[in-house]
Amino acid sequence: MNDTAAARDVAAAAGTPAKIRLLRAEKAFQVRGQDIEAVHPTDLDIRPHEFIALVGPSGCGKSTILNMIAGLMRPTAGEVLYDGTPVSGPNRRVGYMTQKDTLLPWRTTRDNIRIALELKSHATPRAEADERVRQMIELVGLRGFENHTPAELSGGMRKRAAMARTLIYEPETLLMDEPFGALDSQLKLLMLDQLQSLTQHRHMSVVFVTHDLGEAITLSDRIVVMSARPGRIRAIHDVKLERPRDVFKVRFTPAFSEQHERLWDELKDDIVKGTDV
Amino acid sequence: MARAGQTAVIGTGSARLPGATGGDQSAAERFFSTWAGRIGSRIVLVALILLVWEYAPVPRATRFWMSSPSLILGTLWDWLFDGTIWAHLESTLLVMSEGYVIGCAVGIGFGFLLGFFPRLSRVLAPLLASFYALPKIALAPLFVILLGVDNSSKIALVAVTVFFLVLTSTIDGVREVDRNTVNALVLMGATRTEIIRKVLIWAALPWIFTGMRIAVRYAFTTTLLAELIAANRGLGFLIELNSGNFNTTGAYAAIVVVIICSVLLTELLSRLESRMSHWVS
Repeated sequence: MNDTAAARDVAAAAGTPAKIRLLRAEKAFQVRGQDIEAVHPTDLDIRPHEFIALVGPSGCGKSTILNMIAGLMRPTAGEVLYDGTPVSGPNRRVGYMTQKDTLLPWRTTRDNIRIALELKSHATPRAEADERVRQMIELVGLRGFENHTPAELSGGMRKRAAMARTLIYEPETLLMDEPFGALDSQLKLLMLDQLQSLTQHRHMSVVFVTHDLGEAITLSDRIVVMSARPGRIRAIHDVKLERPRDVFKVRFTPAFSEQHERLWDELKDDIVKGTDV
Repeated sequence: MARAGQTAVIGTGSARLPGATGGDQSAAERFFSTWAGRIGSRIVLVALILLVWEYAPVPRATRFWMSSPSLILGTLWDWLFDGTIWAHLESTLLVMSEGYVIGCAVGIGFGFLLGFFPRLSRVLAPLLASFYALPKIALAPLFVILLGVDNSSKIALVAVTVFFLVLTSTIDGVREVDRNTVNALVLMGATRTEIIRKVLIWAALPWIFTGMRIAVRYAFTTTLLAELIAANRGLGFLIELNSGNFNTTGAYAAIVVVIICSVLLTELLSRLESRMSHWVS
């Protein structure tokens, strides 16, 4: 076990307050006058600097949980605490990369990635901002596309631009909703590698929604397995793989396969009956 | 040219139709699908109409009401050189553009105000809606009483017409902004002002341009209507004056000028549009 993991365990033992805490948080939506329960009352503690993956079939409320942590949705009942304080409005401590990218269509890639640094809350001198934008573009592999508008980028490129835009201001917590869905597998590995090193370096807490079990195992400290309609937590798996992980090789270790198998056993019934495609 | 191109598409489409049924139509089809063939057939058609109009054996009274192309052309010729046409054209274009600019500026300003402050908008919405529904031309006589027969009453009428068009498209533009985009910026820590400056204004621009584009034609129509109702200058006044004097030739000549103006306006707009479209989309 390395230092951060050890420190985390000590902190947990000493009762360090959770970074994010869901307390019987539930969410129902009104659809044609009927209450649809999206998330069943849920308890979940996310520790500081922890990387958490939420996996489960479509429609199990993963995105809803992210929205509640971001303060974009209020729980119907129960509470979401961030640093011990109830989240009651947009939570400016988190960076949220939504499933659908929200790049500004009139801005070029460069200016989209830069936008956070133009805001008073992250005011950055021009020269430094330029340099950081350049590094970010390099990092997500968008060199040569700086002056393209989102309409001129492919789906995968837009995802990467959206990720760069979120990472550039280094929020203490990252919420990511299927960030790598549109990427081919080689590029996905590269992105996973970049994401891992950035979040480890900056000690970010991450809540990561994905369909891809391999992705979840590669990156996470814990994997929250959810079941569908109404969404509820079915199990929480600790990922006991040492850090730092080599995202290109970790997939071929026995520990990885074993973890994958256990997760798959957990999920397969639900995925079969949950996918309403 | 762009419009000629559109017509051409329709032209070839209908010319090909008989070609599909009968085999010997292909010569005609080929003729109409060439540029010269199309222009040529148009000229022939127009010339035919003008010839019938000019030489049709009709009674003197009828000839008085329908005038003739040569008389109309003569009148236009006179107007062109004695300056009549320029004075009236200048007046119409001046009223139209001043009213348009004022209407756009105030419309965009208020549109943003109501778009950015939804509570204000909720208070004012029913009032605005009732004014929006009012055909603005109904205000013309009132404006004449309030502002006089000269340009200011007409400018006011054009401005009011344009104002409502641009106002509603601006409000819609601000309102139709993608919520998720705004939320993303809010989570980044953007202030209200920053959201307005960096998202709302930009997102509303295509809508504003659409409103402004539609408003050009309304401005032209409204100017003419206002000049027909009460004026002492302008193309509308020229039509009204000649009709009032039973000078049909003069009325036709003035209408020809109006037609030329609207064709040029349409051409100008479609050119602007095609230049802007890549940006707007």
